Amino acid sequence: MKAPHRYDDNPCKPRHFKPPPCAPVALDEAAQQTLDIGRTRLLVTAGLFVVAFAVIALRLVDVTLVKPAGEARIAHTTAGKAAVSRADIVDRNGVLLATTLSSPSLFANPKQILDAREATQKLVEVLPDLSQSEVYAKLTSDRSFVWLKRLLTPRQEFEVNQLGIPGFQFQREERRVYPEGNLIAHVVGYTGLDNKGLAGIERGFDDILKERKQPLQLSIDIRLQEILHDELSRAVQDFSAKGGVGLVMDVHTGEVLALVSLPDFDPNKPGTATPDTIFNRATLGTYEMGSTFKIFTTAMALDSHTATLASSYDASHPIHIGRFTIHDYHDLHRALSVPEIFEYSSNIGAARMAMDAGTDRLKDFLGRLGLLKPPVFEIPEIGAPLVPSPWHDVNTMTVAFGHGISVSPLQLAIAASAVVNGGILHPATIIKPPPGFIPAGQQVMSTRTSDDMRRLMRLVVEQGTGEFAAAPGYVVGGKTGTAEKVSGHSYAHKALLSSFLGAFPINDPRYLVLAIVDEPHGTPKTHGFATGGWTAAPVVGHAIQRMAPLLGIPPVDENAPEIRSALAIDGVQVKKLASN
Amino acid sequence: MAAFDASTPRLSIAEKLWSLNWGLVALLTIIACYGFAMLYSAANGSLEPWAARQMVRYAVALVLMLGVAIVDIRFWLRSAYIIYSIAFVLLIAVEVRGAIGMGAQRWIDLGVIQLQPSELMKVTLILALARYFHGLTIEEIARPHRLIIPAILIVAPAVLVLKQPDLGTAMKLVLSGGAMFFLAGVRIWQFGAVIAAAGAALPLIWHHMRDYQKNRIYTFLNPESDPLGTGYHILQSKIALGSGGVFGKGFLLGTQSHLNFLPEKQTDFIFTMLAEELGLVGGLSLLALYTLVFIYGFAIALRSRNHFGRILGLGLTINFFLYVFINTAMVMGLIPVVGVPLPLISYGGTAMLTVMFGFGLLMSVYIHRDVRVGRFGENLS
Repeated sequence: MKAPHRYDDNPCKPRHFKPPPCAPVALDEAAQQTLDIGRTRLLVTAGLFVVAFAVIALRLVDVTLVKPAGEARIAHTTAGKAAVSRADIVDRNGVLLATTLSSPSLFANPKQILDAREATQKLVEVLPDLSQSEVYAKLTSDRSFVWLKRLLTPRQEFEVNQLGIPGFQFQREERRVYPEGNLIAHVVGYTGLDNKGLAGIERGFDDILKERKQPLQLSIDIRLQEILHDELSRAVQDFSAKGGVGLVMDVHTGEVLALVSLPDFDPNKPGTATPDTIFNRATLGTYEMGSTFKIFTTAMALDSHTATLASSYDASHPIHIGRFTIHDYHDLHRALSVPEIFEYSSNIGAARMAMDAGTDRLKDFLGRLGLLKPPVFEIPEIGAPLVPSPWHDVNTMTVAFGHGISVSPLQLAIAASAVVNGGILHPATIIKPPPGFIPAGQQVMSTRTSDDMRRLMRLVVEQGTGEFAAAPGYVVGGKTGTAEKVSGHSYAHKALLSSFLGAFPINDPRYLVLAIVDEPHGTPKTHGFATGGWTAAPVVGHAIQRMAPLLGIPPVDENAPEIRSALAIDGVQVKKLASN
Repeated sequence: MAAFDASTPRLSIAEKLWSLNWGLVALLTIIACYGFAMLYSAANGSLEPWAARQMVRYAVALVLMLGVAIVDIRFWLRSAYIIYSIAFVLLIAVEVRGAIGMGAQRWIDLGVIQLQPSELMKVTLILALARYFHGLTIEEIARPHRLIIPAILIVAPAVLVLKQPDLGTAMKLVLSGGAMFFLAGVRIWQFGAVIAAAGAALPLIWHHMRDYQKNRIYTFLNPESDPLGTGYHILQSKIALGSGGVFGKGFLLGTQSHLNFLPEKQTDFIFTMLAEELGLVGGLSLLALYTLVFIYGFAIALRSRNHFGRILGLGLTINFFLYVFINTAMVMGLIPVVGVPLPLISYGGTAMLTVMFGFGLLMSVYIHRDVRVGRFGENLS
């Protein structure tokens, strides 16, 4: 196309932006020149278009035609897989958690059906839940493949075969089935249609499950799982919370007996799950835990002898450091003893205790407890902790009460188990160890420190912030935690992460129970409180009350002199908290 | 060609509407109808939740397109940088909010619709580049320093989008920008130099990336390593495509899609469902319709007598082509999975609006094909 030259323009018209070039003709020539180069380029581009689209079209032909009979291809894939059956997954008592079912599905090739009317009649007699008109419509369609019924029982398969109608065929379909459904979703995970493990144990043990013949036995006890799931779900519902985490761990072996993450999903229908429900809050989520971290701060101070149970710290004024102010939830405006700091959950006291021991000691201690790096665990969804870097003194102060450091609930449970079990850190596991197996362990603090910590944890339940965790007869000890969640660059006062970490019987702990409620809202029943003591502690208390009989732990008289003396704190004045 | 007459460049709105390329409008509507049908099927034969909303969106977008089309091409030329700046600011806004919300954040909620600025950027970038190259003579294009500004125009949004992280859109911005450079007549050796420089910078960038960023790249390069995500999509997509055959399983009868084996069937993987239900014939006829759109685009660009219209038309056509190409190549497993919708068919508001905005511009190019435009958008007639 020839660009017409126009000489009748006034070349020096006023313009909006710049003085005019006095020869618009030259501009046209330049444009013409540009177009000439452009023309070759255009051809090249158009050529590329053609090639690219030809490739797409050919590929379309390739995937739809050259490998024809698509359904047959699927049939082949599934049939091939059927030989490689996947091992079952069971709980510690042998209860089935995941299994593979192979069922026949009936399809027909209408082109091979000789008499559609007769075939329909016979088939509907055998499979009465099929609609006669639908089957007839399918059998007379002009396609070469129609599903008639998916997943038949063996008896139905036999009866259809007895009909002897040519054109009816079966295809075996293998399907992973999870009898417990939502209850154990985040632990076992789920598989895709091709029976490949996509999450949880199914993913972590994908290769092993494919090869193994005997079932894979987990350390999970489905009865405890059910109890914890039930109690936690109730709390999440009552407090209109976003979600929750529950965990039961054997403190002497590191075995996980129950692991709940809410909201959950049905692994039988992973397609209906959302990213939020699939997310494993217990192992993949990392959170600022709040006051439950004071367990570690206090243990650190006691273990490094910078404090004893008789030490006291000034908690009369908030601490101002930089742009932060550290204050207390239960403000007492006086010096507090170490047990009081723990019992009232004093942030100021914990910060002073940590500063007294120093940044290096705290860092070293948390490192020994495995809180600064991701834990080793069989479920592949593992979250890495967020640790202050660089770590200044102000971080030491906030970490002392569980802010500025995020760990997963699993890590919290592993570390806390070591604090209560006599000071031995065991790696967590969700696989049931063989009988007589002695779990690996590492002494990370003195037995004495552990003894003292158990006394302090008992105090919290007896007269501190965790009174609702009490389960009469089972001597519960623990620590509450209420963290303000970070939103953006500031802490949201309304969004809380409320938790309770308990162990029982605390005079000789065997099991640790952790409950976390994500963003609970206070109710009239809790006088508007949504803290760990009001929301998560009752979950632990109720759960222990229901679990202990199943675990074979007999109730004891909590006021028996030997228990009292084992947990007494001598020579230190410990006042009962007035409110709460 | 009466438009040559000096009196005609000032067209009335009625005249503009009359001279609109109604063939292209019809073509776009036919393609959109394919989309409605597929969304109807994806919801197992129901207008809810997708098809009805998509129809409303198309109607709105159609009006928008006609509005854009009748606006004078010189207006678009003059506002090109402003529109680009707005899209860029929105992109930064999303980036800032995303940083606060801690996660991939691509949306801005305007109440009525949710806007995805990265999608908007695709068209506005072309507009801005077209304006820039329109203002350059061929001699000026030959000077390397003249290319710094357009390179920044491309790279700045691409980097922001990459941070979201959305590698697909970033690549698309760079590709369509690069194509505009090519069509504008940038020397081949300069292309070579840019590609070489980018290649040399890669190890440096890689060195400065954090671990999680590297992991994202690994996952992108090897989708199978992300078992919750894309590997599964492609496998299912290929099975569904293969099961369609020549004529397909019939409308509403695609088993793979309807049994929920196929994820994202209403958005990025809708072509798979179409090929499963309507077969090779359905797939090829849709591709043929798209080809017609490209031909229209090229023809309109070539008929424009002003450089701006020509280069804008070509850029928009290439942009549209990239949408179709990347999406179809992706669902057929030719390239890794990147989230690019199938234009006019996939469920989604912003993509529909931006694509139709692009076609509005293309129509504006068509209506004002005989308008002569000065270097800065002034009327030369």
